[in-house]
Amino acid sequence: MKDQVQIKRERSLEEDNQSYFWIKSEGERKLATENLVPGNQVYKEKLIIKKGVEYRLWDAFRSKLAAAIMNDLEYFPFENKSIVLYLGASTGTTVSHISDIVGPSGIVFGVEHASRVARDFLDRVASYRKNIIPILQDARKPKEYFSVFGKVDIIYVDIAQPDQTQIALDNCEMYLKKGGYFFLVIKTRSIDVTKSPRRIIEEETEKLKKNFDILQSIDLHPYDKDHAMVIAKYKN
Amino acid sequence: MYSVILTEFGISVFNDDKLEKSFPFSNPVKEYLLVKNKESKLNELINYLASIQRGVSVSDEALLAILKKHSIDCYLMDAAQLDNVQATKPQIIVDSGFASNLQDTLGKLREFALGISSSKVTEVSESPDLHIIQAINSLDEIDKIANGLSSRLREWYGLHFPELDNIIDSINGYAQIVLAGKRESLTKQVFEEAGFPESKVEMLTLISSKSRGGDISDVNLAIVQSIAKQILDFHELRKKLEEHVETAMQEIAPNLSAILGSAVGARILGRAGSLKRLASLPASTIQVLGAEKALFRSLKTGSQPPKHGLLFQHAMVHAAPRWQRGKIARAVAAKAVIAARVDVYGEGLNQTLLEKLNIRVDEIGKKYENPTEKYMRKPQEFRREGRGFGDRRREGGDRRREGGDRRREGGDRRREGGDRRREGGDRRREEGGSRNERSGSNKKRKKFGRR
Repeated sequence: MKDQVQIKRERSLEEDNQSYFWIKSEGERKLATENLVPGNQVYKEKLIIKKGVEYRLWDAFRSKLAAAIMNDLEYFPFENKSIVLYLGASTGTTVSHISDIVGPSGIVFGVEHASRVARDFLDRVASYRKNIIPILQDARKPKEYFSVFGKVDIIYVDIAQPDQTQIALDNCEMYLKKGGYFFLVIKTRSIDVTKSPRRIIEEETEKLKKNFDILQSIDLHPYDKDHAMVIAKYKN
Repeated sequence: MYSVILTEFGISVFNDDKLEKSFPFSNPVKEYLLVKNKESKLNELINYLASIQRGVSVSDEALLAILKKHSIDCYLMDAAQLDNVQATKPQIIVDSGFASNLQDTLGKLREFALGISSSKVTEVSESPDLHIIQAINSLDEIDKIANGLSSRLREWYGLHFPELDNIIDSINGYAQIVLAGKRESLTKQVFEEAGFPESKVEMLTLISSKSRGGDISDVNLAIVQSIAKQILDFHELRKKLEEHVETAMQEIAPNLSAILGSAVGARILGRAGSLKRLASLPASTIQVLGAEKALFRSLKTGSQPPKHGLLFQHAMVHAAPRWQRGKIARAVAAKAVIAARVDVYGEGLNQTLLEKLNIRVDEIGKKYENPTEKYMRKPQEFRREGRGFGDRRREGGDRRREGGDRRREGGDRRREGGDRRREGGDRRREEGGSRNERSGSNKKRKKFGRR
C-alpha cells in the first residue's frame, strides 16, 4: 500500500504555493494536508505516511474548500502563519485542514453558534490543535467575540442563514485587514428556495462588489448541490 | 488621560500608554462572564477609580454600565481607540502582567477560549428542554421499533398458532400469550391473566385445541418468547417516558402543554430545537412544522400550501371536519407561540390563553359549519377529462402501474400527487364544461378523494 503512494507538491497555484498536496491513493489523485497532530484523525479520514511525514486525506464531499480546489480554485492564500477567521466551524472538518496548513504559528479563530456541533468541534479538533481558538458565539454579533484580536488575513464564511452575506460583510468590516482574502460559501437553498440558484449567486456577488474585488466564483457541483464559493479580495 | 481596558484575564488601568494598575481575575472564565453580564461587583477597581476622580475612557460597554452604576465619571472609547485596543490586545495583556510574552498570551487566550466554550456547552447541555426533546424522540423511536417487532412476532408465532392473529388486536395481550408458551400450555388461566373478557377466553380455549398451525421447536419458541418479552418491556418503557414527558412539560412549559398537550407540545419543541427558539418563531411557521416537504413544494411549484404539520396530531385539529382544520390549526399555532413566549419570558400558567383558543375554535365551528366550496366539490371534478374512451382505459392501466411504483418509492409519491393536482386544475379551467361527461371507475375516485 505504502509504496503506491506518490506525493507531489502542487506548484501551479499562484507562485509557489506549498500548502496542500496531491496524493495518489487507490489509483486516484487525492487531496491531502500534512497532519499537524500526527496520529490524530478528525472525521475518520485516511492517514498516509510517506517519508516519515503523515498526511491526512481531504475529502471534497465533506469540505467545501476541498471541493473548490477540485473545481479549479485559482487563489489559495492559506499558507504557513496565516491568521484566519472561520465562521460556521461546525464540527471542524475544514477547520482542521486549514489548521494543518497554517501550522503552529498560524491562528484559526473558529466561530460556531450551535452547541451540538460545537461539542464535536471542541472534542475532536479544538482541544488537539494548539492553533485553533474556538469561539461559541453568534456570527451576527462580531463585536462580542471573546479572544479575537487584531485583524485577520482571511475570512472564510460557511453559514446557513438567509442573510449570510450581510453577516459575513459585518465580520469583514470588523476583522479583515485591507487586502485580505474573503471566502464566501453561498448556500442558495438557505437564502431562498424559490429563486433559481444562479440568480441568487449573482445577487449575492453583487453585494460584495462595493468593498471587494471578486477574484473567482466556483460552482461546487458535484461535491455540493446548489452551492457556490466566491473568492474576493478586500479593497485597500 | 486614563483608560480602563477589559481583557480576558483582568482589567487594566492605563494612564496614556503606561500601566497604572491591573486587576487580574483569579478565575478568568467565570469573572470575565460576570463582567460581560454586568453582574460583577468589582469593588477594588471602583474604589481605585473613585480615588482618581477624573473622567476615564472604558473599552467595553458592559464594564461601562457597571462603572456608571457606581457613579464613576466615565465614557466609552471612540471607534479608533477601540480598534487600537482590539489590534494590540496581546501586547496589552503582556503589559498588564497577565502573561509573560506574546507566545504565552496566545496559549493563554486559547485556553481561555476553550474554557469559555466548554462552559457554554455544559450550560446548554443542562437545559431541561433538550432532555424533553430526547425523551419524546425516544418515545417515537420506541413506537417504531415495537411496531415492527410486533408484526414480526405475529408472523413468527403465527406459524404455530395462526388463528390468534385475527382474534387478538392488542399487541400486549398477544405478547403475554406468546410468553405462556406452546398452544398446549395455553390454559384458561393464561387468557384470564392477560385480561381478556369471558367470551373471548372461551373462544380462545376452543380454537387453541384445533388450530391448524404447525409445531414449533423449543429453540424457536425461546427466541419468539424473548421477542415477546422485549415488546412488553418496550411497553413499560414507553409508559414511563410518556409520564416523564408529561411531568417535565408541565414544569418547563406549562402554557405550551396547556394549549398543545404535552406530547404534541414536546414534538413541536423538538422540531424547533429549544423552547427559546420556539418562542422566537412566527406562528405561521409553527402551523406547518412537520410539513416541510409540502411547504417547500408549495413554495416552489405554487401548489396548495399545507394546512398543518405536526399540529394534525392535536385533538382539536384532528377531530375537526376537513374544511375547518386549516383555520383551527392556525388558531392553535397562534396561541401556542404566545404560550411558548409566556413560558420563556413570563411566569406561571396563564388560563386566558386556553379559554380564548376554545372560544375561537367554537367560533370557527359555528361560522364554517358547512363545507366551504372547495370541499363541496365532488371528487369527480379532479379527474382528467376530455379524452375518448379508449384513451381512458389505457390511462387507467398506466395509473395502476404508477400506483405500484408509488408504493415502492414512498418519497416521490407526494411530488407526483402535487403535479397531478396542478394538471387537473389546468384542465378544469380549459374544459370546464365537460366536467360531468365521465364518471370513471371507483378506483380513480377513491384515489382523488383521499386528497
